[in-house]
Amino acid sequence: MIDSIINILTTVTPPVDNGTFWLPRAASTVAEEVDFTFDLINWICYFFFAAIVLSMVWFCIKYRRKSPNMVCEGPTHNTALEVTWTVIPLLLVAVIFTVGMKGYLNLRESPEGCYEVQVTGQKWSWTFSHPEFGATQVAELTVPVGKPVRLLMTSNDVLHSLWIPDFRVKMDVVPGRYTSLWFEATKVGDYQLKCTEYCGKDHSKMFAMVHVIPADEFDAVMTKLASEYEDMSVGQLPAYAINRLYNRCVSCHSLDGTTGTGPSFRGLWDRVSSGQVGFSSGETLSSLLGDATLYGEPENYVRESLLFPQKHIVKGYLGSMPSFQGQLKEKQILAIIEMFKHLDEITDEEGNITVNLDGTPTE
Amino acid sequence: MKTIYAKNSPTDNYLNHTKGIKSWIFTLDHKRIGIMYLICILFAFFLGGSFAMLIRFHLLTPEGAILTQDQYNQAFTLHGAIMVFLVIIPAVPAALGNFVLPIMLGAKDVAFPRLNLFSWWLWVFGLVFFLISLGTGGVDTGWTFYTPYSIDKASSMGGVIPVLIGAFVLGFSSIFTGMNFIVTIHRLRPVGMTWFRMPLFLWATYATAIIQVLATPVIGITLLLLIVERSFGIGIFDPALGGDPVLYQHFFWFYSHPAVYIMILPAMGIVSELIAVHSHRHIFGYKFIAYSSIAIAMFGFLVWGHHMFTSGQSQLVNIIFSFITFSVSIPSAIKVFNWLATLYKGSISLNTPMLYGLSFIFIFGIGGLTGIHCATLNTDIHLHDSYFIVAHFHYVMMGSALIGFIGGIHHWWPKMTGKMYNEAWGRFACILVFVGFNLTFFTQFMLGSRGMPRRYATYDPEFQTYHIVSTIGSTILAIGFFITAIYLIHSIFKGKKAPTNPWGGRSLEWQCASPPPWDNFAEQPEVGDCYDFSVLEWNEEEQGYDWRKDVAHPGE
Repeated sequence: MIDSIINILTTVTPPVDNGTFWLPRAASTVAEEVDFTFDLINWICYFFFAAIVLSMVWFCIKYRRKSPNMVCEGPTHNTALEVTWTVIPLLLVAVIFTVGMKGYLNLRESPEGCYEVQVTGQKWSWTFSHPEFGATQVAELTVPVGKPVRLLMTSNDVLHSLWIPDFRVKMDVVPGRYTSLWFEATKVGDYQLKCTEYCGKDHSKMFAMVHVIPADEFDAVMTKLASEYEDMSVGQLPAYAINRLYNRCVSCHSLDGTTGTGPSFRGLWDRVSSGQVGFSSGETLSSLLGDATLYGEPENYVRESLLFPQKHIVKGYLGSMPSFQGQLKEKQILAIIEMFKHLDEITDEEGNITVNLDGTPTE
Repeated sequence: MKTIYAKNSPTDNYLNHTKGIKSWIFTLDHKRIGIMYLICILFAFFLGGSFAMLIRFHLLTPEGAILTQDQYNQAFTLHGAIMVFLVIIPAVPAALGNFVLPIMLGAKDVAFPRLNLFSWWLWVFGLVFFLISLGTGGVDTGWTFYTPYSIDKASSMGGVIPVLIGAFVLGFSSIFTGMNFIVTIHRLRPVGMTWFRMPLFLWATYATAIIQVLATPVIGITLLLLIVERSFGIGIFDPALGGDPVLYQHFFWFYSHPAVYIMILPAMGIVSELIAVHSHRHIFGYKFIAYSSIAIAMFGFLVWGHHMFTSGQSQLVNIIFSFITFSVSIPSAIKVFNWLATLYKGSISLNTPMLYGLSFIFIFGIGGLTGIHCATLNTDIHLHDSYFIVAHFHYVMMGSALIGFIGGIHHWWPKMTGKMYNEAWGRFACILVFVGFNLTFFTQFMLGSRGMPRRYATYDPEFQTYHIVSTIGSTILAIGFFITAIYLIHSIFKGKKAPTNPWGGRSLEWQCASPPPWDNFAEQPEVGDCYDFSVLEWNEEEQGYDWRKDVAHPGE
């Protein structure tokens, strides 16, 4: 009886794991070892710091100056003492070094048979490709629990660094080469992934969420993810784009009308379809729309902005948008255009997304 | 009996020997150059500190309280660049070192007075270039100028090149100061001043000068390459042209890690003086402290790779760098233990300079011990580029180096100005600085180890409490500095006249008048054991220390 009550209580309200005073919750196989090293160093530090400060305070009280002419007869050197306090720290740091090195090798040497994900860092978002399923995620990474995962990473522009604090793993993401890291998540849940190498304006918004899901659900989720937009009707595409693709745009393009690194998406379609967009070259979009002109249909302008963003830069902006050529399938481009057309139906005035992926309203 | 203790001359000293602005800015006198450095560096410190306060107040709310993302990125870049290149690196050697080193050594000036003046002018030009960068688009690369961000004209701001030129020029200022000190210590020691009679501050300055001369040219070349890469795209750092962005990090840290010791070593030298003089106790383990300075200078060249544990460099290289890094911790620990042993059975006066000295031991204790977390490989992978690192290096570079510097200012203030500051306000301000500093930066350890990356303009709301405490701490710290500025300036005009030897120091600067005469010593000073305080006695009338009547002078 009591057991079952406890069972119900613990399943209904699982205790929130906030980690310790020093460290966040530990959710990977290597985290425990890192935390052990961290705590070991901490205790050594507590001991030495207490010894230093206590003796300092004690001496300051005991030997405080009582008269300006006090003569001090303390020793000026003591070789045995010097050797002692050289050798003891030396031994201690030798131990710490060894523990840290062993832990590091475990943290770096990926086991056989890792599930592989290709990661691209780009100002200011993360793209995760799952070659096994042909699926791509933006600002979200879904991985199975209890299975080693290896991230093979590169950058499209400047240095980034991928950090998952709860997993205690981190690796720089460098343009022009591949770096890698691996982890094995131990608990189902959502974990923050942050960029921790300064990469410019919106560095602090370069964020992704790691979803750790049960291993037996993983294949189904990924298969669905890989093809979810293929079977969608045009009417379902805005909800898909706002929930799945907008993550890639969020750091520069707001939904509530505020200006960011790029123009806000609010009212964008009205501006584009009516041609009220001025370019830094002095041209306006209206002169490029209509029969026998560059774009013909306004949809072409949006398509070009995604694939060749440097061609026409909107007046007042720096033109720092990267190209999405090769990253977006045609149907996804269509989904983004549909998202613009129906933005008022899928977001509110404050820029909150109001529909789920399946079209139902959010809570 | 010879009077080796010069009494203050009522008329002539280095401050009033000649008059007019030109007699200062073109002076060849090391004391005046030291004072000019001090004024300039304190101005730059105010500038860098203002950016720090902007950063702290911005971070009061998770979304950022007062700045845009771009402004925030500029604020932390300029805070870092100004504090490192214009303040901490030159602070102790160029300001206090210039004033104190020749007198302490018993010399009339440094070996190359003109080069010394040139160093100061280079510093001024360095500052001008920094200010130019503000007017030419600002700079948002971080003080580390990491490639390829810093060479990407489309994303980083336009003022990068002026700052790089500024840092390049400041590098030469630093090299010339170092050269000057090395030659001065080698060539201008008077009779009797053997290597092992030199005060430990001179040993520390000497070790620093070696690093300045050997390491700084590397940053000069690196910054030039960066300027050329950004201007012409030669493809050494730019991955799009086949260059290697990580190579830049190696070049940069090959200087910038030893530069950490340029900052901390002279401050450690000051602390050795503060602890010994204000506890009137022969320094414990003189040779160990002296050699540990040299050891730190040497090992400091071999550890730069620990800034790059997550850069993708090979595991073997990481392991080697981690191993060597630990070796630096040993001489640092030796110094701390020796200072503590010096306090043992001393006659400890808890005046302002000593409080700064004790604060240094406390703060450096934390800064040094947390270095272990960062040197250990698997913990550093978690902590790298997080606020833990920010806290760690502020404990070392600001809490230790700058507090040593401020302690040194108080210690030598009577000598430099000939005036005593208000002791009660001094102690009060020191306590504010100590409390404010620890509140500001201790919280940042938890911020980092719990998952907040550095250089973030916005952050997760779970971190807000830490940021609020940190901002409150920084405000207390700023008030402490503000009070310090007021009572020090006040003392120049209204302070009591300083005696020749207010603290009872034995090194040679306490044998020449306060303020010192134009040429320091009328006759060659006699050198004894600079940590033997038993020959001094308190002179109530002068409120300072005098040679004991019943003790013979050295050389007699």
